[in-house]
Amino acid sequence: MKLQENLLQIDPKSTEERITHFIQDYIKKTKAKGVVLGLSGGVDSAVGATLSVKAVGSTKVLALYMPEEETYNKTDHQHAKLIAGKLELQLKDIDLTRVLDTLYRTIPDYDPRNSISRGNLKARTRMVILYYYANLQKRIVVGSSDKSEAMIGYFTKWGDGAMDIAPLMDLYKTQVRKLALHLSIPPIIVNKPSTPGLLRNQTAEQEIGSRYEILDLILYGLEHFMTTATIAKQLNLPHKTVHAIKKKWLQTEHKRKAPLTTKLQYRTINADFRLIREFDLEE
Amino acid sequence: MKSEFRAAMAQFPCKIGNKQYNISIMKKYIEKAQCQDADIIIFPEMSLTGYTTRDLTYELAEKIPGKSIEKMDGFAKEHGLYIVFGMPERSEKGDTILYNTAVLVGPEGYVGKYRKMHLPTHSVFEEKRYFRLGYHTPIFQTGIGPIGMMICYDIFFPEVARALRLQGAKLIICISASPAIRKKFFETLTMARAIENTCYLAYVNLVGIENGLQFWGGSRLIGPSGHLITKLKYDEEDFSFGDFDYEDLKPVEAFVPTLRDLRPELYRSLMNFSEYL
Repeated sequence: MKLQENLLQIDPKSTEERITHFIQDYIKKTKAKGVVLGLSGGVDSAVGATLSVKAVGSTKVLALYMPEEETYNKTDHQHAKLIAGKLELQLKDIDLTRVLDTLYRTIPDYDPRNSISRGNLKARTRMVILYYYANLQKRIVVGSSDKSEAMIGYFTKWGDGAMDIAPLMDLYKTQVRKLALHLSIPPIIVNKPSTPGLLRNQTAEQEIGSRYEILDLILYGLEHFMTTATIAKQLNLPHKTVHAIKKKWLQTEHKRKAPLTTKLQYRTINADFRLIREFDLEE
Repeated sequence: MKSEFRAAMAQFPCKIGNKQYNISIMKKYIEKAQCQDADIIIFPEMSLTGYTTRDLTYELAEKIPGKSIEKMDGFAKEHGLYIVFGMPERSEKGDTILYNTAVLVGPEGYVGKYRKMHLPTHSVFEEKRYFRLGYHTPIFQTGIGPIGMMICYDIFFPEVARALRLQGAKLIICISASPAIRKKFFETLTMARAIENTCYLAYVNLVGIENGLQFWGGSRLIGPSGHLITKLKYDEEDFSFGDFDYEDLKPVEAFVPTLRDLRPELYRSLMNFSEYL
């Protein structure tokens, strides 16, 4: 297999249909009243919102834009409004500045210099609000994690990694962008640098240390059981770069899985209880 | 003896673990098939329970004959047609010995069963965790000719269809629960099995979503030269039927005489080679 861009081609129409069908089916089976999602102004959440609207209609989709003072970005805010307007869905602006300030003041050991812990606190606060609305209005939380970020663990555990369904999680970032263009999401949103919006001037590619076009090919190779040596050779990259990505992938499995316990009994949760969410037993 | 028959096929999303519901849907299609003068109706793999039953398989499995078979052969008698459906079977010899089984019932009652020989346990599949391998490729002499059955992944192994055909099956039924990502494989292999065995092949696949897996439907009746007699919709619940005539096998067998030209000695070599992978 030659690692090149064409491997990441998707059939956007069929992908759109599959994901839409998946969201519809899940809502039907769970008897949820609708969807709630975070709309950041970025490409992933724009695609998630668009597909949710296609699946269940705009009246059943609630979008939350949750800025806070440190990272507020006017352009992202405009983009969130643009998407919400285009999709005719309800958008609530919920400013998290005060609640975060309270958290910072409440936590006895809060360390303002530790930006990772502060950033994660923001992502988890967004999760709290999303699930408040999910409970309040009997909605499900639709996440917008993509496969690139999920594979390398570039998300906050129990923050943006918490959701009921993750319709985009089997699409690499560059594939999400292709799908976004197919869905007529404005190129200005599709092509702008991705950011988790947790820290000032933070961009995903800078933090990851690679452009998504390269990262996705590395991950595609790993997904298809290629060795790091072969991937590095084919992509003309230093072996240590590919190895570092593989390490991130393997070391972050704990973020993608339900909690681990030690086996003590006959059948164990998340180990050998093998169930699915859709049992519909007769009375 | 009559040589022309009509096969109906129904693909529907199962409610996992709810036999009562799934039987009610099958009943609806059996009635519809009778209205269309069908001689046989075929449902997908594990259509009694849904495919992804996981740990509930232990409690959902039934002995054959058993309670659900009684209901289904009651429908067959009442409506005067053959029915093929899929279910988890519990062995007579042990409560946790289970098989992924295709069942054939007809106007004469319970006819027979086929236990899946190739159990996928790779990618998203975990069948060997629950099921024992089947060891036999029986064919059944019925009022609509000799029928052989197989299940889903079996179609990747040409020897199953060949064994059925060599015993005289002229209609091979493959019931399936194939996720969308494998559509291309099945579209190719169903046609290949029909052509290489110069027989009719009915492929009936599940639809709906189970645990994130989207089953693609696309059930079909294929003629001995690979032509599509009828095809059901992709991804949606659907019902259709197609006619087949065993007399039409003759010109195809003369045109591409694959059975006549078989080389039995190759099978001995194959057995030896396949033991040393």
